[in-house]
Amino acid sequence: MHLFLMIGLVAFSILAVLSRDLLKSAISLAVASVFLALIFFEMNAVYAGVFEVSVVAGLITVLFITAIALTRSDGDVVESKLHRLIFPLFFAALAVIDLLVMRKLMGRIPAMVSPESGTFGQVLWNQRTFDLVGQIGVIFAGVLAVLALFRQGKSPAGDAPHTGDAALTGRQPKGDQHE
Amino acid sequence: MIFLFIIVPLLLASLLPLLGKISRRFLPDLLANAAMLFLLVLSVLYAKPLIANGGIIQQAFWFGAPLNIRLLLDGFSLFMLFTISLISFAITLYSINYMEHYGAKANYYALLLVMIAGMNGLVLTSDLFNIYLFLEVAAVASYALVAFGQGPDELEASFKYLMLSAVASAFILIAIAIIFGLTGGVSFGTVAHGLNTLNIKYVVGFCSGLFLMGFGLKAAIVPFHSWLPDAHPSAPAPISAMLSGVLIKVSGVYAMMRIFLNVFGLTPALTTVLTVLGIVSIFVGALAALGQNDIKRMLAYSSISQIGYVVLGLGIGTPLGILGGLFHLFNHALFKSLLFLNAGAVEQSTGTRSLDKMGGLAKRMPLTAATSAIGSLSIAGVPPLNGFWSKLLIIIALVQAKMIVLAVLAVLGSVVTLWYYLVLQHQAFFGNLNENWKAVKEAPFWMSAATVLLALLCIVTGLAFPFVIHSWLQPAADVLGKGVGVAMNFIGF
Repeated sequence: MHLFLMIGLVAFSILAVLSRDLLKSAISLAVASVFLALIFFEMNAVYAGVFEVSVVAGLITVLFITAIALTRSDGDVVESKLHRLIFPLFFAALAVIDLLVMRKLMGRIPAMVSPESGTFGQVLWNQRTFDLVGQIGVIFAGVLAVLALFRQGKSPAGDAPHTGDAALTGRQPKGDQHE
Repeated sequence: MIFLFIIVPLLLASLLPLLGKISRRFLPDLLANAAMLFLLVLSVLYAKPLIANGGIIQQAFWFGAPLNIRLLLDGFSLFMLFTISLISFAITLYSINYMEHYGAKANYYALLLVMIAGMNGLVLTSDLFNIYLFLEVAAVASYALVAFGQGPDELEASFKYLMLSAVASAFILIAIAIIFGLTGGVSFGTVAHGLNTLNIKYVVGFCSGLFLMGFGLKAAIVPFHSWLPDAHPSAPAPISAMLSGVLIKVSGVYAMMRIFLNVFGLTPALTTVLTVLGIVSIFVGALAALGQNDIKRMLAYSSISQIGYVVLGLGIGTPLGILGGLFHLFNHALFKSLLFLNAGAVEQSTGTRSLDKMGGLAKRMPLTAATSAIGSLSIAGVPPLNGFWSKLLIIIALVQAKMIVLAVLAVLGSVVTLWYYLVLQHQAFFGNLNENWKAVKEAPFWMSAATVLLALLCIVTGLAFPFVIHSWLQPAADVLGKGVGVAMNFIGF
């Protein structure tokens, strides 16, 4: 069962990389992450599984597909065939190295003596508080980045055309703070 | 409260987009500058005396209740905090005038402050995973800042930077995951203790390789440098200065050295790898800079070359080498920011970055030309300016460590540096004044103020280098010199 899930994960990941069609690629990625979530469930990491399914397989795929739907294709991009050859070679090399290193590594892994114990929530709130500050920082940086990059273009006349954007500028971080 | 170093910029960043609605220019300018000045003063007056007797760990409180946030402040992190605050202050000063024509000033300052909060957090944490997290905070903000001009070049450079940085983050995360699996913890103390008892040389070597690739990419050491010559010139000038002056050092060099020296322990193999990469970076960066015609691109390649000196010095691992490396890190932050700000002033006045089209600008922009000359001479290692002393320390350390060949190469690299900076000075500021630039004016007040401040600091650091070394660098070098012992002391945290 475990092996079957692993093979599924790797196979769909490879498909996502090799596929020439963006839509197929996005869907393969979603399927791969469903396999990953199943592996998480198998290994009793319920929270990780739930997040994997809901966020990676669900939310992000929706975002990808929306983005793909919104863009139009400007004709075929000419890519060298070399890329298609390099990836399988690289993958094979990595698999060999992985097999050699992981064998050694697996034998050495000691019993987990994590000082961080308790339920998922407890660990997050009580022991990894600083992580939360960092994560707020990351999300916040992302919000600000979107605001800054999707502002209206420079206008030589003055700042008048900025008003529509400024309204957005005002609202978004406010919501962020209250959450 | 050391926590202020992170929370002040983060809070102000969240308020700025709101305040930007009330006052488009004045309030964002004032608050950003005040915040940076506050952090600078805080690092000198409050944090410096705090660690008079060695590093401390401070716990954060929320209305009297202790939070599980512990910040590590020692000589090395304070030194980095001071460098970040100093350069950021100069950059916010400069931005008052420079960012006028970009618009969206409040958003710009907000992103800059998030980046600074990320760097401060990275420097203050004592936990591998937090290093990764704050690295991302600073990185996400920097992607947006590189693309701030919204032109095709900016967007392309930012995308390239984003993609390569994501690869770097993946390497770093894999290494952290392996270490967590092995030692059952991610705090410096637990990891150092765990690796010490486990005795697993090869796995540590494998993780060191991953960290080297990850942080090496962030620091733009040579085989991993290809994003930097695109990203740094494309950003607005103050951001170029911030990225080249501070960000590559904090997210690359600081994180790498903290982990290699204080958590893993420096091995002879690692010393060899670091010194060789350092020398290769010096030459590849310097020779590529020689062939550039774009002034900011030349400076970007020069950053790769100078980061090579820093990595070379720190990689030797001897007390003098570490001291030299850190001193060069500080000096490079000063003069590279100065040179990028000057390049920005020239670009704003003339509208071009091409060295061919410039010439004779010293007649029209005397202050910019003078400060730029000081910066160029410093970076080339002309005595008695600051760059001379730090390069001298690194070269003496190389000779002491019996790495004579590397020492000779380092001197040669310095000669090439002098060469291309003379080319830059000659083409931009000296010679006959180009007809087109008859009407060019000197940079506005705040831009000049920032460059004069940095130029003065270059001179003062050069003349008073024993004082700088004694008060700021020695405590930092001591922390790195103590090796794994530092992390071992923090077991239980």
